[in-house]
Amino acid sequence: MRDVWISGAGMTAIGRRTEPLQSLMAEAALSALLMAERERPDAIVVAAMNPEEFVGDGNFASNVATHMGFAEVPTVRIETATSSGAAALYAGFAEVAAGLHRTVLVVGGEKMTHLATPRVSELIGRSIDPYERLYGATMPALAGLITRALMARNAVGLREIAQVAVKNHANAAKNPYAHYRQPITIEDVMTSRMVADPLRLLHCCPISDGGAAVVLTSDRIGVRIAGIGQGTDTLAVRHRQNLTSFRATQVAARVAFAMAGFGPERVDFAELHDAFTPFELIALEDIGLIPVGKASRATLDGETALDGRLPINPSGGLKARGHPLAATGLAQVVECVWQLLGRAEGRQLEGHTALAHSIGGLATNNWVTVLERL
Amino acid sequence: MIVAPPASYCPRHPARMLPTELPGAGEIVSFTTLHSPPEGFKSPLHIAIVELEGGARFVCHGAETRGLKIGSTVAIEAVNNVYYFSSLGALDRARIFWRRAGRAGDRVNSIAQSPMKRVWKGKDRAGL
Ligand SMILES: [Zn+2]
Repeated sequence: MRDVWISGAGMTAIGRRTEPLQSLMAEAALSALLMAERERPDAIVVAAMNPEEFVGDGNFASNVATHMGFAEVPTVRIETATSSGAAALYAGFAEVAAGLHRTVLVVGGEKMTHLATPRVSELIGRSIDPYERLYGATMPALAGLITRALMARNAVGLREIAQVAVKNHANAAKNPYAHYRQPITIEDVMTSRMVADPLRLLHCCPISDGGAAVVLTSDRIGVRIAGIGQGTDTLAVRHRQNLTSFRATQVAARVAFAMAGFGPERVDFAELHDAFTPFELIALEDIGLIPVGKASRATLDGETALDGRLPINPSGGLKARGHPLAATGLAQVVECVWQLLGRAEGRQLEGHTALAHSIGGLATNNWVTVLERL
Repeated sequence: MIVAPPASYCPRHPARMLPTELPGAGEIVSFTTLHSPPEGFKSPLHIAIVELEGGARFVCHGAETRGLKIGSTVAIEAVNNVYYFSSLGALDRARIFWRRAGRAGDRVNSIAQSPMKRVWKGKDRAGL
């Protein structure tokens, strides 16, 4: 297996965008290619969760490639629900590691804000088990069930899950690419509208548009993908014995660290999938970044803040940078690459090793990627 | 593994499932209330996961969650193919306790039988 390096990373500003999805993805792709100093990749991997429904376009690999002027470059599309961007990174990684291609562009994007919120929720909710959907289960509903179980078992309180939102909004305030750049307070979170008891509006990520891209190469330049792992679980949440940790994250982390040849203790900072703020606490423990039962305390103590021992979601996370579905897994990696290479102006961290964690569906198809600057 | 509704294969192994029956009482695993439920549902929408004896977990609706806790004993019953949970009174809980303790009698079984429903039981291969 060849070493795989990220030589370019780019993304659009995340938020309400008026451009077509193809243009957002082209913007991200071209900025990644510019950083990599490549005019044309040998192959392309496209990530989009549901362009058929969100924007009405199919055959989306060819659609995006043609839009960018790469109609003659071999292109595939990858989909694993909300973790599609991370899954596409894996596919591109495999192409380079296997020696099939020397330079692969991986680009993801989603455009949703032009649709009414109930319609967007319904489309995202289609990744839920059909029987659970019959009972009205939405992503926030299932996250609400998980949050209540977490609060009962691990002594996680309302302050802790609110503090994750406060921290991530504070980080996003320093990130010009973020959807929300206003800081919020614990009181703002705890008085926001109840969505799925005990989850309130400000515990949940927004609906966002955007694109993100990386250029992968076998040339020794930029940031190395030290490890990448996938973990899976049952589509139905009710078929899982344990609601308060995600098997799919645990397995993905184990596989990624085994490939890297080191463990979580070497990670300097991480981008974690905080679509709902309690998920950040769960991920910290599932990945092994914080000992089991300590994530909420560590968060309240500021350990995971930008100036803490282990900064989490320096970009603002899904919570405040925003969550344009298939762009998200790649936007996390873009943030890590920018941080590792000293390009994260205004929120720059120290460190050699970063980790990105992406959840697909309600933790049915998760990914962990470990990145290293040499 | 016991799953509901009936499934052809165990979700975790390619093993065929067999039908089984379960008593219609169990414990609340977790619950939530949706304040803007999807189209076709009334607000507020109470949703719970209930684990029956034997481990099968059901998604259920409920009329209310007042006084409900994780671990609360509830009965579940299907109305028009939709399962509903309801809290059990002290007497019902006592009867279930005695049945669990191995003192099951007709009086006790009649409580648990009323919401009894067919589900399917997985036949796992050992070691898989
Ligand atoms: Zn099985």
